[in-house]
Formats: sequence, structure tokens, C-alpha cells
Amino acid sequence: MSGLVRLRLAGFLRTGRAVAPLLAGLLALGVLYGGGRAQPAEAYGVSAVVLFPVLAWQTKILLDVEPDVQRRLALVLAGAARERAAGLLAAVVAGLGTVAVGLVLPWLVGGVTSQVTPGGRSLAAGVALGVWAHLLALPAAVALGALASRAVTGSAGYGVAVLALGVVGTLVLGLSDSVVPWLAPPVMPAARAIAAGPSGATVALLSGWAVAWSATALAGYAWRRRARA
Amino acid sequence: MRWEDVWLRYGRRGPWVLREANLRLGPGEAAVVVGRNGAGKSTLLQLAAGVLRPTRGRVVDRPRHVGWVPERFPADQPFTVQRYLAGMARVAGLGGSEADLAVDRWTGRLGLTRFRGVRLPELSKGTAQKVGLAQAMLRRPGLLILDEPWEGLDTAARELVPGLIDEVLAAGGSVLVSDHRGETARLPGATHWTVADGTVTARASADAPVEALVVVEVAVPAARAAGTVARLRADGHHVLGVRAAAPPDAPAPGAPATPVAGEPGGPPAPADGAGGGVPATGPAGRVGR
Repeated sequence: MSGLVRLRLAGFLRTGRAVAPLLAGLLALGVLYGGGRAQPAEAYGVSAVVLFPVLAWQTKILLDVEPDVQRRLALVLAGAARERAAGLLAAVVAGLGTVAVGLVLPWLVGGVTSQVTPGGRSLAAGVALGVWAHLLALPAAVALGALASRAVTGSAGYGVAVLALGVVGTLVLGLSDSVVPWLAPPVMPAARAIAAGPSGATVALLSGWAVAWSATALAGYAWRRRARA
Repeated sequence: MRWEDVWLRYGRRGPWVLREANLRLGPGEAAVVVGRNGAGKSTLLQLAAGVLRPTRGRVVDRPRHVGWVPERFPADQPFTVQRYLAGMARVAGLGGSEADLAVDRWTGRLGLTRFRGVRLPELSKGTAQKVGLAQAMLRRPGLLILDEPWEGLDTAARELVPGLIDEVLAAGGSVLVSDHRGETARLPGATHWTVADGTVTARASADAPVEALVVVEVAVPAARAAGTVARLRADGHHVLGVRAAAPPDAPAPGAPATPVAGEPGGPPAPADGAGGGVPATGPAGRVGR
């Protein structure tokens, strides 16, 4: 399976289509960090929200860059389950790269401060919460991007619609007075929790929520791909 | 590989493309899928490859390693021939050195060696089609599926395809090939699967025994030779060769003065696969059926 992961990552990087979502992500983060220095945890909480659509878009591009017939060739050689898993894994690897950029960038542009406020959390704890928020957003973004991929939607127009609806839904349903917050991945609740200082139970609850949402969305992806190679 | 009551339609409200297909293809057996354009030949092949899932019924006992050559190779990819084939060998489960050996072997056999550093989008259609053949053969398939493999290939490359098929069959594999050009006349003993109106009919290919062959010689203007050959092939005839017509006063061997092959007193009819595909250089040709 690693062969197919590498082939797909290479295809994604070589076509230059990786540039657009990366630039969009850098632009959004630049705006986010342009306002001055912030505590790492709070800044990273918002950064994860900002990167969620970027990661989903990047996943859709990565899965769509391969011609349909090539995807079927890979399926014949590797088997259906491996072909699907390899695409998702390649998207996760690419996403980890983007997340790494998102975590390092604020230190380069002076968007965060390493000074600990009296009574505030330590630098290490702040960074750890930031990493957690990004890793919470990544699988959900990959699942959304996969559901928006051409292999599922069959046309570019529907794919963009699924992506846009998913992103807007995640942001709107994630607002603090949402009636059905569990319909969306907990990207917004995680950002709020970080700002408020989350307890261990909150971290566990949000992590479980993110895993359950991503697993459901990925099951939907696998089910749709069963009928449509 | 067995097909048990296989039905297929695209989408819930679509018409049935295939209905009630019950087929069998054993080890060492070849089947030729024939039918008109749009009859469902490619659909049938994609079901065999596992690319499509039957809407009803099932395909069982599919060999573990399948090689599928699609009708059009997807050349719009940012890889060189070498990088692509090495990558696909890995995807097929070959290790590093095995993968390199397989790529060397098949680029050599298919005449792709000098294209190894060329990017896929820059290849001609025929060369890209050869890359499609190579990726299917990197790991010897237990089932080789060829969708119109002769399309776009030049004469010399067309001769390679029967060799690949024989190799898979000799190793105990099965071969499924679609063809609307009559090229599969070179696959004696293959079962014919005829697709029409959503149904598939299998029949053993025993309708053209060798002793029933006759050779018909046809003279055409030189400029129309290539087109005539193409039309004859499209009609399922086996074109044995094309040569220049002899001047009227000095009949050359094989000219009308010579007895027609296969007739009493004439030379024996050539065995199937003896000729075919000589470049069109002159106005007279011989056509076998």
C-alpha cells in the first residue's frame, strides 16, 4: 500500500495543484497572525479552525488529481480496500505537512509569544493543546474532502458543493448556541474549549466526538465507493 | 472465474446494461468479447477486472493477480514511463529489486526502452497504450483483461499482443479480450462471448476450421490500400499481406497467373497467423477469411 501512497503523493506534488490550498492556508494564517502576539494555545485553536477547510480542499485535490482510469488501474492491482485506504493515507500525510506549516509559521512571523502570563498555562501545555486541536481537525477534514472527491460525487460541481456545504456546516453548526452541534466535527467547540482552558474530560469528550464523526464520514465514503469505482 | 447470474446497471433508475450473465473462464482459457459499439463490452471487462461491482449476482474465483489494459491509457499523469511503471510495480506488490527487474523486462519487450525518460503526456497514443500493456504484465497476471488492445498500436506492436496472451495462457492464466477489428482471428480456440441487448452468449470458437480457409486476392489502387486493409480488418477478415502488383506482361509469383492458395492444385492455405499487417506499399493484396 505504501507504493500507492507514494505514487499519489508524488502525483499531487508534481502537478503543482498542491500550491493553491497551501497558499490559501498561508494567506489565512497570515491574516490570523497579523494582529499581534497571542498565547500559543488560543492562537492554535483558531488556526485549526482556519486550516479545516484548507485540509479538506487539499484532500479533494489530492484524490481528484489522478485520472479516473488510473484510479481503477490502481484498484485492479492493489485491491479495492487498499486503493481506498492508500488515498486516505496519502491525504493524511499531505495534511500533516500542512499542519506542520501551520504550527511553525506563527513562530516565524511573531504571531505567538513564549511569555507565560501569571496564572496562565505553560508554553509546553499550550503547544500540546494546539497540536491536539489540529490533529482533531485533520481526520474530519480528510473525511470531508474524501466525500467531496470526484470518485464519490461523479462531477466537479457536486464535489465543490459538498465541500462548501461541509465547511459552512462545520462552522455554523459549531457555533456555541447550535442545536445540533454533533452533526459537525468539533472543530469550533475545540477552539472554544482551548480558549477557556479545557479539563481532561472535555479533551476526551471532544476527541471521542471527532473520532466518531470522522469514522462515520469515512464509512460513508467507503460505502459510496463500493458502488462507484 | 465464474459469473453467477450477474446483472448490472449504472444508477438505480438506469437501464440494465447486462442481464443474467452466467459465464465461466477456466485456467489456460481465453475468451473474446465481441459486440457492437456500446453493447457493453467494456462494462463486461470491467466487471471481470473487479472495477465494477455487479448490481445483482456475483463474480467468484477471480484470480488474485489481475492485469487490466483499459481501452485508453490515462496518459495525463506527471510521471516518466520509468517512474510510472516502477510505481505501478510497487502498487502490484513487487519489492524494490523485483519491481526494477519487471520494469526492465517489460520496457525491453514492448520496445519502450528509449521512452523510459519521457513523460507520459508526451507519448504518442500507441506508445502510451504499450505502457498500459506493460503495467498489466509487470506482475504476471492470473487473469489478463485486454480492452481493444490493438487500438492505436502500429503493425509491429500489434504482433506483440498474441505473444503476451500466449504467455499468460501457458502459465495457466486466463485471458479476456474485446475486439471489434477481427484481430482475435489469431486466437484459435478462444471462446466467443457475444454481447448484444444486455445479454451475453458464450460459444466455443469452432466455426472456422483451418481447412475451410480460402485466400481471395484483391487489386486496389495504391492510394486506397491502407483504407481497404483497415475496412477488411474491421469486417473480421484476416489480411495476409500487401504487395505491389506485377506489370501486366510479366506475372510475378503470387500474381493472378498463380493458382489461388487453398484451391486444388494450389499451395496449401496458410495457417492462421502466418502473415497480416505488412505495410501497405502496393495496390494488390490477399485476403483470407
